[in-house]
Amino acid sequence: MNITMNDVILLGHATFGILGTLSALWVFVEALNAREENATRIRMGVTAVPISLCVACILGGYWYLHFYPAEKAIILQGPWTFAHNLFMETKEHLFFITLILALYLPIAAAEKLYANASARMMVLCVALMIVITGVAIEGAGAIVDHGVKVALLRAHVKGAPVEGDRPE
Amino acid sequence: MSDYCRLGRAKSAFALAAAITILFNTALACAKDVHRPLSRFMGSVAGHNWTTQGLVDLILFFGLGLVLTKAGWAGRIEPGRLISLVVAAVVVGSVGLVAWYALF
Repeated sequence: MNITMNDVILLGHATFGILGTLSALWVFVEALNAREENATRIRMGVTAVPISLCVACILGGYWYLHFYPAEKAIILQGPWTFAHNLFMETKEHLFFITLILALYLPIAAAEKLYANASARMMVLCVALMIVITGVAIEGAGAIVDHGVKVALLRAHVKGAPVEGDRPE
Repeated sequence: MSDYCRLGRAKSAFALAAAITILFNTALACAKDVHRPLSRFMGSVAGHNWTTQGLVDLILFFGLGLVLTKAGWAGRIEPGRLISLVVAAVVVGSVGLVAWYALF
């Protein structure tokens, strides 16, 4: 088994991204039924979201700067150039929107949600938008990954390695 | 307005800061794409234009949030309007990014 640091960082990035998204969904469900009894769970949820997404950002940022250029070169030589030009470009900037929402979430949920209808509505909207953008970003990541795969498959079928292809 | 419906000073201020930062983020992504010297300048600040953009977003969000909290007037904005503003900023920011990279 040959698992490189590149793989660990990339999978860690995706894992923390989905953990943050699921935590936001958890906050949304808890906030729908905000009561005194689940106030602690809401606090746990709104803490988990920014922590998970900050870790995802650090891991993803490191991977993007150090390992992505080689994969980008592969994608741009393959048939799915839109995997970089549209999906990666959008994903890397859309992530900041999700991150800002994640950092705002604990502020919006700072007081008792069951006693404040406006704060509860704000938390519901912010959590839902984190879920929607988070899922979109995860999907974009899968398309970027598939862009590399189809480029490598095509090069393999043709018998010519593409530029940026990592030696075994 | 009753306490049951009030968002509070910091929540309102940071909501406004989030909406502004989200729109700024999309505008900056488009601007650095159009104006290459800006992208190169941002790259020289923190090693990569993406890193600089992230840092600028964070500074803008927390800086603006703190300034608006101190100023206090964001707390007087009706909560429903603030919620709509944040949602609208996310929709415009996200759709704007997709449209930009799809069309240009």
